[in-house]
Amino acid sequence: MIMMKRFVYINDDQVSHELYCDNRISNRKYTILNFLPKNLWEQFSRFMNQYFLLIACLQLWPLITPVNPASTWGPLIFIFSVSATKEAWDDYNRYLSDKKANEKKVWIVKNGIKKQIKAQDIHVGSIIWLRENDEVPCDLVLLGSSDPQGLCYVETAALDGETDLKTRVVSSSCMGIDSELLHKIKGVIECPNPDKDIRRFDANLRLFPPFIDNDVCPLTIKNTILQTCYLRNTEWACGVAPFFSGNETKLGMSRGIPEPKLTAMDAMIDKLTGAIFIFQIVVVMVLGVAGNVWKDTEAKKLWYVEYPHEGPWFELLIIPLRFELLCSIMIPISIKVSLDLVKSLYAKFIDWDEKMVDEETSIASHATNTAISEDLGQVEYILTDKTGTLTENKMIFRRCCINGIFYGNDSGDALKDVELLNSIEAGSPDVIRFLTIMAICNTVIPVQSKSGAILYKAQSQDEDALVHAAAKLYMVFLNRNANILEIKFNSSSIQYELLETLEFTSDRKRMSVVVKDCKNGKIFLLSKGADESILPYAIAGQQTRAFVEAVEHYAQMGLRTLCLAWRELMNDEYREWSLSFKEASSALVDREWRLAEICQRIERDLQVLGVTAIEDRLQDGVPETIETLRKAGINFWMLTGDKQDTAIQIARLCNFISPEPKGQLLMINGKTEDEVRVSLERVLRTMRITTSEPKDVAFVVDGWALEIAVTRYRKAFTELAILSRTAICCRVTPSQKAQLVQLLKSCDYRTLAIGDGGNDVRMIQQADIGVGISGREGLQAARAADYSIGKFRFLRRLILVHGRYSYNRTAFLSQYSFYKSLVICFIQILFSFISGVSGTSLFNSISLMAYNVFYTSVPVLVSVLDKDLTEETVMQHPQILFYCQAGRLLNPSTFAGWFGRSLFHAIVVFTISIHSYAYEKSELEEVSLVALSGCIWLQAFVMTLETNSFTILQHIAIWGNLAAFYVINWIFSTIPSSGMYTIMFRLCREPSYWTAIFLTVAAGMGPIVALKYFRYTYRPSKINTLQQAERLGGPILSLGSIEPQARTIEREVSTLSIAQPKMRNPMYEPLLSDSPNSTRRSFGPGTPFDFFQPQTRLSAGYSRNCKDN
Amino acid sequence: MADRGRTGSGGGGGQGDVETAKKTRKPKYSRFSQQELPACKPVLTPGWVITTFISIGVVFIPIGLASLFASQRVTEIVHQYDIDCIPPEFSDDTVGFIKSDKTNKTCTRTITVPKQMKSPIYVYYQLNNFYQNHRRYVKNRDDKQLWSREDERSSQDCKPEAFTANGQPIVPCGLIAWSLFNDTYKFRVNDKALEVNKKGIAWSSDREHKFGSNVYPKNFQSGSLIGGAKLNSSIPLSEQEDLIVWMRPAALPTFRKLYGKIETDLEANDKINIVIENNYNTYSFGGKKKLVLSTTSWMGGRNDFLGLAYLTVGGLCLFLAISFILVYVLKPRPLGDPSYLSWNRNAAGILN
Repeated sequence: MIMMKRFVYINDDQVSHELYCDNRISNRKYTILNFLPKNLWEQFSRFMNQYFLLIACLQLWPLITPVNPASTWGPLIFIFSVSATKEAWDDYNRYLSDKKANEKKVWIVKNGIKKQIKAQDIHVGSIIWLRENDEVPCDLVLLGSSDPQGLCYVETAALDGETDLKTRVVSSSCMGIDSELLHKIKGVIECPNPDKDIRRFDANLRLFPPFIDNDVCPLTIKNTILQTCYLRNTEWACGVAPFFSGNETKLGMSRGIPEPKLTAMDAMIDKLTGAIFIFQIVVVMVLGVAGNVWKDTEAKKLWYVEYPHEGPWFELLIIPLRFELLCSIMIPISIKVSLDLVKSLYAKFIDWDEKMVDEETSIASHATNTAISEDLGQVEYILTDKTGTLTENKMIFRRCCINGIFYGNDSGDALKDVELLNSIEAGSPDVIRFLTIMAICNTVIPVQSKSGAILYKAQSQDEDALVHAAAKLYMVFLNRNANILEIKFNSSSIQYELLETLEFTSDRKRMSVVVKDCKNGKIFLLSKGADESILPYAIAGQQTRAFVEAVEHYAQMGLRTLCLAWRELMNDEYREWSLSFKEASSALVDREWRLAEICQRIERDLQVLGVTAIEDRLQDGVPETIETLRKAGINFWMLTGDKQDTAIQIARLCNFISPEPKGQLLMINGKTEDEVRVSLERVLRTMRITTSEPKDVAFVVDGWALEIAVTRYRKAFTELAILSRTAICCRVTPSQKAQLVQLLKSCDYRTLAIGDGGNDVRMIQQADIGVGISGREGLQAARAADYSIGKFRFLRRLILVHGRYSYNRTAFLSQYSFYKSLVICFIQILFSFISGVSGTSLFNSISLMAYNVFYTSVPVLVSVLDKDLTEETVMQHPQILFYCQAGRLLNPSTFAGWFGRSLFHAIVVFTISIHSYAYEKSELEEVSLVALSGCIWLQAFVMTLETNSFTILQHIAIWGNLAAFYVINWIFSTIPSSGMYTIMFRLCREPSYWTAIFLTVAAGMGPIVALKYFRYTYRPSKINTLQQAERLGGPILSLGSIEPQARTIEREVSTLSIAQPKMRNPMYEPLLSDSPNSTRRSFGPGTPFDFFQPQTRLSAGYSRNCKDN
Repeated sequence: MADRGRTGSGGGGGQGDVETAKKTRKPKYSRFSQQELPACKPVLTPGWVITTFISIGVVFIPIGLASLFASQRVTEIVHQYDIDCIPPEFSDDTVGFIKSDKTNKTCTRTITVPKQMKSPIYVYYQLNNFYQNHRRYVKNRDDKQLWSREDERSSQDCKPEAFTANGQPIVPCGLIAWSLFNDTYKFRVNDKALEVNKKGIAWSSDREHKFGSNVYPKNFQSGSLIGGAKLNSSIPLSEQEDLIVWMRPAALPTFRKLYGKIETDLEANDKINIVIENNYNTYSFGGKKKLVLSTTSWMGGRNDFLGLAYLTVGGLCLFLAISFILVYVLKPRPLGDPSYLSWNRNAAGILN
């Protein structure tokens, strides 16, 4: 692999000046000049807009336009300017924030003199001088710091959301250079091209004489400070800007506009729009042909029309095009704007919701993505992280096992275990070594506060817990002074020299330090890590069985375990090893992998000391939330990096899986492909049998087997994924999490991923909906997510209340938008049959325009306040979410209902208008206004009928709109030049107008009310039943079977035994199910699951429409 | 938790800032933002629905009866004359007859008044199969020109009847005016001439605000192709009431236009003698011409549609109400019975 390399010359303006960009940050999308063309281009890349533009252009041709072009141009320009203004405003704000960042003053050193310049003028290779609490203007390589050891502390909250301080260290070759000399430093940095990985930086530094020597010094991410970090607790630091400046910084590279997510509902609306478009084309063709035939046979006889004998060449096209324009209103121009508007309101409702504010931290929920609220109501799979998401990520050291002796088993708290305290007092060497590892085998930074208390700044919650526990057990980690670690044990101070740190990686799953005891010069390797990465490397002959048991024992209690081990190193061994370690750590290529290999070499023959057990408590309300959501038919998958036993235990605690005999756990394991295949097949077989019985079957898979299953047996695994309601995937990497999301998405499921840490970001971005918990692992996940919430339990409200209402409301709004457009369009079509199929518009331009953008758009907007069921009812009966998941309220069949209704209403309005205004009354303007009034009245009653709950706003909108219709038409009726002059006044005086209107309402609404009543009473949907029950008042009793789950949290070794496939053929009694589930989609034709077909959600979903009755 | 965070992992200098940054602006409580506006939730209960249907029936049937009664009280004489007014020798060439200048188009018809008709009696002409609403026709006019002398040349919409062959503007322009109906009727009852008042037949709003009192016909019907009636060019448009009536296009291909008013009562069995000048060509396209004499009621002319429709809708509502009552009595079904929630009823839990 050839890496592109760059050479940056420190403090040398001439060379690097032209080569690389300056530090100007630009997040802007537009400039003033290109705004209009670029924005228009973007807007017109959408099909709907192209369509409307085509229609609007056709209308400019007076020969074919049935109405004034303004009736399309007006709304079109309005809609375009609304979205253009929004874009422009966003871009202006981006410009302002860029400007602020660009004009920030920074100190640089040039030709040995400090001077202040604007941040945007920083060049690659400039030396930048930072003072305490300064924000870092661009990515820097550290050259010097006020700290004699070359350390400096940075806060990276803006980058990854982690609030604790991180240490950064001056590169070794610059260590100890005097600050005066630093001003004149010259050198070259060799580094790869910019990338966005904020955890990697593989480069080399070579200083020019007179500085030190020509040695190449390796640089890592530890030697850099990235843009937007803050310098803390360090008086000054200075660094050189490598190539990472301006938009090329790590942050700049990782920024980017995420792909817009499309909800299932949007896709369905697009599909329906497409269907209407095809219908429109068919109508246009039929009417066009009919019009041309009528013209050639009949219209030529109408002398008063004076058809020319020879028409232009395009004569045949004229009538079809006229009908195209007449029918163009079938696709409502307002739907996009209305949807955008209500969607942002849904998002606001989420932001505003007081019931989703975390009281402890007063973090409100936030919808970053305002466009996908409906999808929340259609979630089918939730993929959740464990640590920090289900649990509080608040680690407390609870128990330990040292040399086979269990501490803390009786009281549940090892810190109070007398036995342990006694053995500490007695100075048992194993216990002391154990405590030493707890105290110093970490990357924790102790900070002495002014009051003398010691504060620990830890990156890992586990390390934090261990250091604190050690301190309580009289082993206080006092100070990390460069390479000297100072601990205090029982008032005696011990010092260790830190020789190397073998860092934790998710592959190695352990970390070690090499330290030298300052007293006797002995060198030790201290390790801590996951059991499977420590125990196999135990020294030959040591019995690790006790530890394995301890780990199992703790894991079954849901505790997180770490194994601690040590080894004494011989001086020679260390020296030899440290050389190769240094070499590996300065490698530019594959550094991580090579380091792991070198570390492996020394981390062997370990003396295992014991096991620590750390408790991570479940968050409040997690079991209830999961239970409710599972009842709502949502399937849960837990994806965790934790070990299997812990994961299973947590899963049990939070109602993920039921204990036997209700639930059954199936394991997929194996180290080789064959083993995995056999295990997978066995699980599948069991699954197929048990899916017919209502039973909680879950499968458990670990990262290794998962990798094999997903890559080799994808089809079988997909089948399993579809069959299984619950899955626990342990030891999975971030990319595997994302892979699983991808797998479920490819089966056409709506997925929601929820997590709190950086390792969940990929999964969150991949899923249809990403939810981030703004928790202790920082804000990284919350930033990447579509929704951020404070606690896991808010997920219930987010889905059941906000998601469900959003879905219902959009379902109504979108279908109603089509309905009202179709009504008016059908009337036009019917009218064309009595106007010689010539494409005359019954309605005038003003009425058409006002109908679409005003009369019918305003009332429908208040449907965002509609609630079909109260929040409490939904919470009590989460099963009702099924209607949203299965898309019961918006699908081709409900749409067909609305389509039929619009046709029926058009016929009613048209028939009544032309018959009651026949003969001497058949004046075109009057008939047109009678028909329009009929439509408006019907719309008001349709809105009333479809509204489930009336607030004052709905009444105002519906009836106010009706009144506004008359006021507006009266106003137009006073303008002599308008075609409508005096018409509305005349009509309002005529009794026949009012009788016609009431007839229209009664004839139009009567059958619909009757049908709705019949269905509501005799074929009620579950929603209807609950509505009725709500109406009756009192608690809605669910008969029987939702039995309260006696969820005793066993603190001791659990009764759970895992059904290992190898043990026995599973035969369990069926479980009393309270779930509306087993509505899985069939896996595909010809699979062995065809007996599931009658229950598939598709057939169920389309068999009846619920909204239209 | 927050407590521990401070003592435990420490509150460095930056923590304060981040904490405040994290605190999303907590919204002010309002019933709107919490979606807690007081709402009433109407439910389609049997009582409510049945009451509604019964009351619609109870209200609609009398209204239907009243309007049917009103409509029936209107006396209407409809007399089709387009076929009868063709002399027998032209019955094969009706179009030739009507287009020729030489034929005598006067035609005398007699009708009998079936019932007493109180004045005012409206005289209409009715055309069938005449598409005043045709796309080419309905917009072929220029309202500005009709109102103001200055705008006489603004007639783009009037093609092909906008300008004469030598470029002079035609007033009033367009196909509608050009095809003005030109049959005339003279009535005699019992050998006495019956006055037909042709004043005030057009809408006063049209006379006053749409057709100018200083706009006079100009170059009208002067081309090679003669459409309908000619206009007296010394009378301003605002007083050409036949034109004003004609220029309110009808929405339907069958329509009536007011010809005049008879302001004396007609007795039953009166013989009315009508002299018709049968000038207007409906023969080319097979249209019918009818003469209509009609009295009026509060509902307007004779039109049974509304009355019948009201009776039908009212009757259907009553029928529905009764059948709902029957179903309710015979097959009662409690509302909101949770046993209908299938996740309670059906352990397998298939909704539907």
